[in-house]
Amino acid sequence: MSSLCLQRLQEERKKWRKDHPFGFFAKPTKKPDGSMNLQKWEAGIPGKEGTIWKDGVFPITIEYPDDYPSKPPKVKFPAGFYHPNIYPSGTVCLSILNEDQDWRPAITLKQIALGVQDLLDSPNPNSPAQEPAWRAFSKNVKEYERKVIEQAKRYTK
Amino acid sequence: MANASAVRLLGQENYERLRSSRVLLVGAGGIGCELLKNLVLMGFGEIHIVDLDIIDLSNLNRQFLFRQRDIKQAKATTAARAIEHVSNSKLVAHQANIMDVNQFPLAWFSQFSIFFNALDNLEARRYVNQMAQYLRKPLLESGTAGFDGYIQPIIPGATECFDCTTKETPKTFPVCTIRSTPSQPIHCIVWAKNFLFSQLFASSGSMSADEDLGTDNVEEIERIRQETNELHELQELIRSGDKTRIRDVFEKVFVKDIEKLLAIEELWKAREKPTPLYNFKFDEKINKNLNTVWTIQEQVNAFVLATEKLMQRLSSEKQIEFDKDDPDTLLFVAAAANIRASVFKLPLKSVFDIKQIAGGIIPAIATTNAIIAGLSSLASLRVLNLLKNQPKANPTELNMAFTAKASNMSNNRYLSNPQLGPPNPRCPVCSIARGVLTLSQNDLDTMRLSELVGAVQEKYSYSGEVSVLDKSTQRLLADFDFEDLLNKTLAEVKVARGTILLISDEQDSEESIRAPVELYIEQGEPEGINLPDIEVPLIKPAVVEPDETNSEEGVSMPGEIILDEDDKNPKKRHLDDASETPAKKALKTEEEHVVILD
Repeated sequence: MSSLCLQRLQEERKKWRKDHPFGFFAKPTKKPDGSMNLQKWEAGIPGKEGTIWKDGVFPITIEYPDDYPSKPPKVKFPAGFYHPNIYPSGTVCLSILNEDQDWRPAITLKQIALGVQDLLDSPNPNSPAQEPAWRAFSKNVKEYERKVIEQAKRYTK
Repeated sequence: MANASAVRLLGQENYERLRSSRVLLVGAGGIGCELLKNLVLMGFGEIHIVDLDIIDLSNLNRQFLFRQRDIKQAKATTAARAIEHVSNSKLVAHQANIMDVNQFPLAWFSQFSIFFNALDNLEARRYVNQMAQYLRKPLLESGTAGFDGYIQPIIPGATECFDCTTKETPKTFPVCTIRSTPSQPIHCIVWAKNFLFSQLFASSGSMSADEDLGTDNVEEIERIRQETNELHELQELIRSGDKTRIRDVFEKVFVKDIEKLLAIEELWKAREKPTPLYNFKFDEKINKNLNTVWTIQEQVNAFVLATEKLMQRLSSEKQIEFDKDDPDTLLFVAAAANIRASVFKLPLKSVFDIKQIAGGIIPAIATTNAIIAGLSSLASLRVLNLLKNQPKANPTELNMAFTAKASNMSNNRYLSNPQLGPPNPRCPVCSIARGVLTLSQNDLDTMRLSELVGAVQEKYSYSGEVSVLDKSTQRLLADFDFEDLLNKTLAEVKVARGTILLISDEQDSEESIRAPVELYIEQGEPEGINLPDIEVPLIKPAVVEPDETNSEEGVSMPGEIILDEDDKNPKKRHLDDASETPAKKALKTEEEHVVILD
C-alpha cells in the first residue's frame, strides 16, 4: 500500500470522527493481532425514515484497495442481501464506486455512506445485479416491499 | 590498473573518488545486468548487488550475463560471477529481498554513496526511495516497459522523490461489466481468471466465517447460503474429484447463469443478448496449437481437459493459483474465456494471446534496457559530481530522461531530458519529517507503547491525542478511539528493528497542528528513548468542508490529497512540455495486471 493511501485513510477516519451523518457508524476492523486495519472498515447504514427500509441499520464492509484513492473502495452488504442493485455476493453496484463512471479521488466516506443509503430506497432498475429482488421490484411491488420490510426487521437498530 | 579513459574523463582526483566509492545496485534483471556491466567498466570501487530472484529460461534473451546452465541459479551471485573476469571492482552479491530489515537494516544502506534501482515492482521501488529519504543519499531510479523507459535521479530534500507524483496503476473493470455484461474479450478473460478460476480452485471454500449475515436464525443462515452461494456448490463439485460432474459445472456457468442474465430484460435493451451454450457435448478432439483460434468444440474439450487436470491436482495441492506459465491453469482460463466470449458473441482469442493478456506481459526489449542502463550510469557521474569539466551540479540542474512513446514520437526526438523538479510539498513520503530511533532489545521487551507515545508527544510538542501507525505492516496501533494496545509492550505489538512508525497529531484544532513524524526503529545501545532531533513544523489542519457535496468533478479535497485528474486524460498532455512534472509522464508501472473489482 502506498503512503498516499495510508495518509488518506487516516484523514478519512479523522473526518468521519468530526462529522458523520446521524445514525451511521463506521470504523476500521481489527486484525487478528489486535491492531486496526485501515484498509477494511465496517459500517452501518440506517434506512431512511419514511421508507420501507426505516427499521434497519444495514451492515456493510468497505475495502480500500492499495491504490486508493486512485481506485474506489469496494462496498459489500452481507451475501444474499435483498436489493436489485446488489450482487448475490453482497457487492454494491453504484456509479460513484465505479472507476469508469463517477468515482473521483475526492469522494469521502461520508459521501459513500450517504450514497449507499440513497441507493437503498431508490434502486436503479436499469442496472440489475440480482434476479430475485430485481424481478419483484419490477413485476410485483407488494412482494418486494414485504421482503424488504422483513429484511429490515432482521437488521433492526 | 588505472582505467586511462576514465581518468581522462574524470581527472585523477575524481577517478580516485570513483575508485573509493561503494554503490548499491538493486535488481540484477534486464536493466540490472546492463547496469552492472556499466558500473564495473566505469570502475566503481565496490558494487553490492541485491536480487531475490533466480534465473528463468525466459530471462536469457536479454539478461546477457546469464546462460542456459545458470537456470535456477541466483541472479545476484551469477551476475557477479559472470562479470568478475573483467572486473576491477569488488563485487558483493546478496540473494535476498532488499526489504528484509534483518539482513538490510537502515544502517546497512548508509555505507553506499548512491543507490541504483533496477527493479520490476512498485513496492521495492518505494522502499528504496524511502531508505534514500532517511539517509539523504542519492537514488538513481529507472524502469522500462517495452519500447519505453526512463531514468530519474532523486536527491532527497532537493528534487522530486519517487512518490512525489502519483503512479499509474493497473486498470480495473466494474463488477457489473465482468459479471453480467462483457463487451470486450478482455472482460471475459478477467471473468475467467479472477472470478471463475479463483472461485473454483484458488479460495479455500467455505464462506468467510466473519461475514455477518445479520441473523442468528440457523435456518435463515442456511437459506441465505443456499440461495446465494451457488458458486460455493460448484466448488464442492470440483473438490469432490468426480469427473462426471464437470458437465454440471459447465451447464451452470455457460447455460443456467446465462439464462438468468437473459431473464433480466432491462440489461439487453441496448445490448446484444447472449446465447446460452445449449446442446454442448464433449468429445476427445484436442487442438494443441496455441497460436490459432480454436473452434468452439475445441474450446469446450479444452475446458473439460483442463478442469480434469486441475481437479486431480486439487487432491494433493490445497489450492491452485493462476500462473501464466502453469499450462493447466492457462488452458482453463483461455477455454473458459473463449466459451464465454462466444456466448456473448465476442471475438475469440488464441491461447497465446490470452497468456499475454492474463499474464500482464509486456515484451521486454533488450535495447531499451541497454539505453536506460547507459543513461543511468552516466547520470550517476553527474549526481556524484565526478565529471572533470562540469561545475558541481545544483540538484535541480540535473536531468531525468525518458524515451518518447514509440507511438508518439514528436519532434523526431527519441529522448527527452528535462531538469528535475523540486520536491512536492504535499508528497506523502518526502514531505514528512523523519528520523531514526534506536532502542535496545530490553527497551523493546519492556517499554509500553504508551511510554513511547508520551515521549514523542513531549519531544515534538504534540499537544494532545496522537495516532500511531506502523507503516511497514499497515497497522494502526493507536488513535483517539483506539487505545487497546497502549498498555502492551513494543515487542507485544510487534514493533521491532525496521518498523516504521508514523505518528500524527489528532488534535481537533482550527488553528494549526503539528506535522506528522516518521520514526525508523533501529535496534542497538544504549537503553532509553533518545528521540532524534527533528524539526516538526506546525501545519494547517485539514478542514472539513460544509456539507453540500455530492461528488462533483474537481472537488478539492480537505487535507490536500494530490488529485491527478490529468491522468484520466493522457491525450491532453503534450509530450515535450517539460514544464509540468515530467516524472508524471514518464513513470509507469511495469506490470499491467488486470484486476477485477469484485
